[in-house]
Amino acid sequence: MFSIRNLALYLIAMLIILALNFLLPRMMPGDPLMAIYGEEALVQMTPELKAELVERFALDQPWWQQFAAYLSTLFTGDLGYSYYYNAPVLEVILGRLPWTLLLVGTALIISTLLGIVLGIESGWRRSSQRDKSLLTGLMALSGFPDFFVGILLLIGFGITLGIFPLSGAITPYSGFTGAALALDILHHLFLPLTALTLCHIGGSYLLTRNTMVTVLKKPYMLVARAKGLSEFVMRYRHAGRNALLPVITRAGIQLGRMVTGVLFIEIVFAYPGLGHLVYEALLARDYPVLQGVLLIVAFSVLIADFLVDVSYSKLDPRIRYAH
Amino acid sequence: MHINLKEEVKQNNFAKFGIVLLLLMLVIALFAPLLAPYQPNSQTPFAFEPPSSNHWLGTNHVGKDILSQLIYGARTSLLVGFSAALLATILSAIIGTSAALIAGLYDKIIMRIVDAFIIIPAIVIIILVAAYVKPSLWVLILLLSLLGWQGGARIIRAQALSLKEMGHISAAQSFGASNVYLTFRHILPDLAPILSVEFIYGIRRAIFMEAGLAFLGIADPTTVSWGMMMREALDFCYLDVWQWWLLPPGIALSLTILSVTFIGHTLEGALDPRLESEAIA
Amino acid sequence: MFQVRYKIPRLKTRISPLKVSLALLTLALVCCLLVTACSETGQPLEPVSYTIADDTGDWGYPSPYTHYARGPGYIRMSFLFDTLVWKDASGFVSALAKEWEYISADNAYIFKLRDDVTWHDGVEFTAEDVVFTFNYTKEHPFQWVDGSIVALAEATDEYTVKLYLSKPYAPFFQDVAGTLPILPKHIWEGIEEPEKFVAKEAVIGTGPYKLADYSKEHGSYLYKAYSDYYLGKPAVDELKFVKISKEMIPAALKGGSMDAGDTPPEVISEMEEAGLTVITAPYAWNAKLTINHQKEPLSSKQFRQALAYAIDREALVQITQRGHAMAGSPGMIPPTSDWYNPDTPQYEYDPARAQRVLEELGYGLENGYFTKDSTELVLELVTIARFKEVGQFVKQQLEAAGIKIDFRTMEDKTVDAKVLAWQFDLAIYGHGGLHEPSILNKMITGEGFNSARYHADETLNELLENQLTEMDQGNRVNIVRQIQEVYAEDLPALTLYYPNWYWAHDGSVELFYTKDGIAFGIPIPLNKLAFMEYKGM
Repeated sequence: MFSIRNLALYLIAMLIILALNFLLPRMMPGDPLMAIYGEEALVQMTPELKAELVERFALDQPWWQQFAAYLSTLFTGDLGYSYYYNAPVLEVILGRLPWTLLLVGTALIISTLLGIVLGIESGWRRSSQRDKSLLTGLMALSGFPDFFVGILLLIGFGITLGIFPLSGAITPYSGFTGAALALDILHHLFLPLTALTLCHIGGSYLLTRNTMVTVLKKPYMLVARAKGLSEFVMRYRHAGRNALLPVITRAGIQLGRMVTGVLFIEIVFAYPGLGHLVYEALLARDYPVLQGVLLIVAFSVLIADFLVDVSYSKLDPRIRYAH
Repeated sequence: MHINLKEEVKQNNFAKFGIVLLLLMLVIALFAPLLAPYQPNSQTPFAFEPPSSNHWLGTNHVGKDILSQLIYGARTSLLVGFSAALLATILSAIIGTSAALIAGLYDKIIMRIVDAFIIIPAIVIIILVAAYVKPSLWVLILLLSLLGWQGGARIIRAQALSLKEMGHISAAQSFGASNVYLTFRHILPDLAPILSVEFIYGIRRAIFMEAGLAFLGIADPTTVSWGMMMREALDFCYLDVWQWWLLPPGIALSLTILSVTFIGHTLEGALDPRLESEAIA
Repeated sequence: MFQVRYKIPRLKTRISPLKVSLALLTLALVCCLLVTACSETGQPLEPVSYTIADDTGDWGYPSPYTHYARGPGYIRMSFLFDTLVWKDASGFVSALAKEWEYISADNAYIFKLRDDVTWHDGVEFTAEDVVFTFNYTKEHPFQWVDGSIVALAEATDEYTVKLYLSKPYAPFFQDVAGTLPILPKHIWEGIEEPEKFVAKEAVIGTGPYKLADYSKEHGSYLYKAYSDYYLGKPAVDELKFVKISKEMIPAALKGGSMDAGDTPPEVISEMEEAGLTVITAPYAWNAKLTINHQKEPLSSKQFRQALAYAIDREALVQITQRGHAMAGSPGMIPPTSDWYNPDTPQYEYDPARAQRVLEELGYGLENGYFTKDSTELVLELVTIARFKEVGQFVKQQLEAAGIKIDFRTMEDKTVDAKVLAWQFDLAIYGHGGLHEPSILNKMITGEGFNSARYHADETLNELLENQLTEMDQGNRVNIVRQIQEVYAEDLPALTLYYPNWYWAHDGSVELFYTKDGIAFGIPIPLNKLAFMEYKGM
C-alpha cells in the first residue's frame, strides 16, 4: 500500500517533466520543428524528412494527439537525432553516461561514508572540541559552491602544482592497458571526485550528527554502557548503526543534489560526462540532446528516489508495522 | 511558540558571525553606487592591471574595475536571493495553510503536486527553460520562486494542521471566523518561526542558483554577477589574474552563502529544542 | 613429570580486519605502481608521435561528407584525402596533379596527374577517380565547393583530366582544384547517402595519413602515417588530435604533454621563454558591424558614413582586444593583403564630423542626443554573447556622438534569425576567408546572414561579377581595388577589426601558415606537408 501511493507520486512527477519537455518547444514562437531541432538542423533537412517529422510528431494535429505522438516516440526509445553531433541522441548520451556514473557513484559512496563517520564522531560528544571544530569546518565547506571548490582545486593542483591533468577522463591514445589504464583514469578522476565529494559530505554529516542525538538518548545505549562495552563498539556498532538508517535513505535524495553538483564540476574539469554534454548542448542550442539528457537525468533521480522509498520501508521494520 | 531568539543568538557565535556578515553584504549592496569607485561596466584600455591604489582589485580583460564589479555583484546576488526567497515563502505560506484549512480534494491534489516537484531536481527544469527563454533578472526570480515554494509548503501544511487542532482555532471557528481571518490572524503569526527558517534557506538556494546559472552563461550577460565574473576569470586562468579576479567573487559568494547558512542553522536549532540540548558556543 | 602450562597471554589488540585490509590495499597499490613503472621501459624504437591540442575536439568523422561544416573539420579530412593541387607557404604546389595548363579557347583546365599514387587500400589512383569525383559532386554537392563551376570532366587518358568550366572563374584553383578532395571511385560508386557513410572505407584516401581511431565523445583523432604516400612516408608516424579546454592549452604546451596549439596573446613571451616557437597568422578574419540598409535612417549612405566616423576603431582594438588586433579597413580586405587598396576611404575617427553629417540630414541635438521631428533617434544593436564587450564599446561610442543605442545580447540563432528577416538595425558578426577576393562577393551580395546582402549599387554589382571571371591577375587586382573603394563609399557594413591569432609549437615539426589559408582559406597552420619532416627535439 505504501509503495502504490508513492508510485502514483512518481508517475505524476514523470508526467510533469514530460509535459515540460513537450510544451516548451511548442510554446516558442515560430516553427515548432525549428524549436525542436534547432535552426542549423532545419537547414540540413530535406523537405521529405521535414514532412516525415511533422507526421511523426503530429504537429498539425490538436495538442493532445501531439502529446500522444510525443509519448509514443519516447516509448520506442527514440530520443531524437542530434544534427550537431550527427548521431541519435540516445547514442550520444550512452557514450557519456559511464563517466558520470563513475564520478557520481564514487562521490556518493565516499561522501556518505565519510559523512557518517565524521557525524558519528561529532555526535558522540556534542560540544566537545572535536565536535565544534568538525562542525565549523564542515559548515564552512558547505558554503562554497561546487564550481568554486572545483576551480580552486583545478588551479591549485592542476595548474600551479601541475600534479594532476587539466581536463578529460583519460589520456587519449596513451597506449595504456590494464593497471596503467586504471591508474590513468584514477589520475584524471581524482580532482573532480575530490571536489564533488567535499561538497556533499556536509549533508550526510549533519544528518548523522543530529540523528546521533536522538539515538544516544535511547535506552539501549544505557544498556550498552551498563554492559561495559568499549567506546568504539558503542559508538559504531550500537549508536552508529542505528543512526545509519536515515542517512542511507537520504543518500537517494543526495543523488538529486549531486546532479546539480556534477554539472558544474564536469564543466570546470572538462570531464566528458552527461553534465558536460548538457553544457555543450546548451551552447549549441542542440534541443534534442538537451531534452534527452535532462529527461534521462530526471528519470534516474526519480527512479533512485523510488527505490530508496521502497527499500526504506523494508529496512526499517517499524515503518512497515506502523502501517 | 515562545522561543527566545535573542538569547539563542547571543550565545551562538555562528549566528553572530552570520548576521554581521549578511548585514555587511546588505549594506554593500544597498550603497553600491556610493561605495564603488567606478562604474562596473565602464571599459578602459588598462586590462589585467594587478591591484594598485587606483584599482584595489585590479582590472579585468576589458579594463573594468573588479572591485566595482564585486560590489555591484553583491546587489545582484542579494536582490535575486531575497526576492526569490520572499516570493517562494509567501507562496508556500498561502498554499500550505490553505491546503491545511480547506482540506479535502484540494489538499490531496496540492500535496501530490508539491511532492512531485520536490523530487524533480530544480536545475533540470531551470536549464530546460533557460535554453528556450533567455531569462532576464526578473524572469529568473520568478522561475526560482516557482520552483522553491514546494518544500516549505509541506512543512507549513504540517504545522498548520497541528495548529488547527488547537483550542483557540476551533474556538474562533465556532465564532464564525472565515478561513482567511484564521490564516492571517491566528495561524500565520504562529508559523512565523518556521516561515523565517524557510525564508533563510530559500535565500541560500536562490543565491547559489543565480551564481551557478550566471557561471553557466545562461543568465543575462549584461548584469554584473559574481557567477559571471568567475566564468570570465576562468577563461584566463593561464594568467596570474585569477588571484585578484577569480578569488574575490568566489570568496564573497561563499561568505554570503555561509552567513545565511549559519543564521538558518541557528534558527533551526532554536526551533527544535531536541537538537540543542547542549548549546554550542 | 608434570607439564607446566604456560599461560599464553592473549594479544590485547587483536589484529583488526580493518588494519589487514588497509595493509593489503597499500600493498596492491604499490604493486600497481611498480608494474606501471616497469612497463614504461618499453620498446627500444618508439614511433614519432605529435599531439595537437584542440578546444572543441570533435569535428565529425573525417570523411568528405561527414566532417562538420567548419575549417578544423575540413583540415582533419585533408590529412586523409588529397586534392588536385595544394598550397604551401608560398603558393600552389602540385598534389595529385603534377602539371596543369589553362586552355582559354575551351575555358578548360588540363591536369596531368601523377602515376605513382595509391589509395590506402592499395588500389591505384587514375584519372577515372577524378572524373568520378566531379560527377559525384553534381549529384551530391560537397559542402565547400560550388559544383556548377565545372561543367564537364573528361579523362583524356589514364593520367590526364580535362575540366571544362561553365564560365571563366578566376579563383578556380583556390576554390575548386585546391579544395575538392578526390574520392576513390571503387568505393564511392553506388553510395547513395554520403552523409551517413561512416564505414571504415569512407576514410580511404590518397593522403599521407590513415585513420587509426576517432572518438566522438573524447573528441580525439589518431592518425598513422601511410608508408606508400607518393611524397614518401611522413616523418611523423603518429598524429594525435586531442581535446583540451582553451585556457589549459598554454599549460599543456609548456608541460610538454602536447606539441602544438592555439595560443592566447598574453602568454607569448612565456611560451617563447619555455623554448616554444610562436607563429603569427596573417589576417584573414574580421568582425563586422552589419547595418540594416533597408531601413530608415540607415538606408542613407551618409548616415552609415557618419556611424563610421563616430566609432574609433583604434580605441576599439586597444580596449576590447587589448591591442591584439588591427583596426578594420572599411574596404573589408586587410591592409596586409596583396589585394589591399591603400586609397580606400578610412573614415578616421571624427565624432564632430559625424555630428555635422547628422545635422545635414536634418537631426538636431537635444540633451546630448539627436532627434528629428521630435522623435529621439534610437538604434537597436544586437550581438551574440561573444561580442558583448565589442558591442558595449560601439554603444558607448555612438552614444557619445549623440545616437542612442539599445544594446542587447542574444542567442546566436536568435540574432541570425532577426538579421535574416531584416528585423534589426545594427548587428555585430564575424567571418573569415579574407584571403581570396571571392569573399567579397559572398559577403556583399551573398545570401547568408553574414553577408550585407547589398544589391543597390549597380557599379559595385558589375565590378563584383567581373572580378570572378577576370583571368588576368593584374586586371583582377585592379578590379578588386575598385571594389574596395566603392564598397567603402557605400558602407553597407563596417569592418571593425582583424584579430591577431597565434599558434605555439615545440619546434619538432615546422608548422607554417599556408599562403591564403588551407584550401578555400582556412587560417590554421596544420598543413599536411609540414609533417613530412621531423626535426626531433
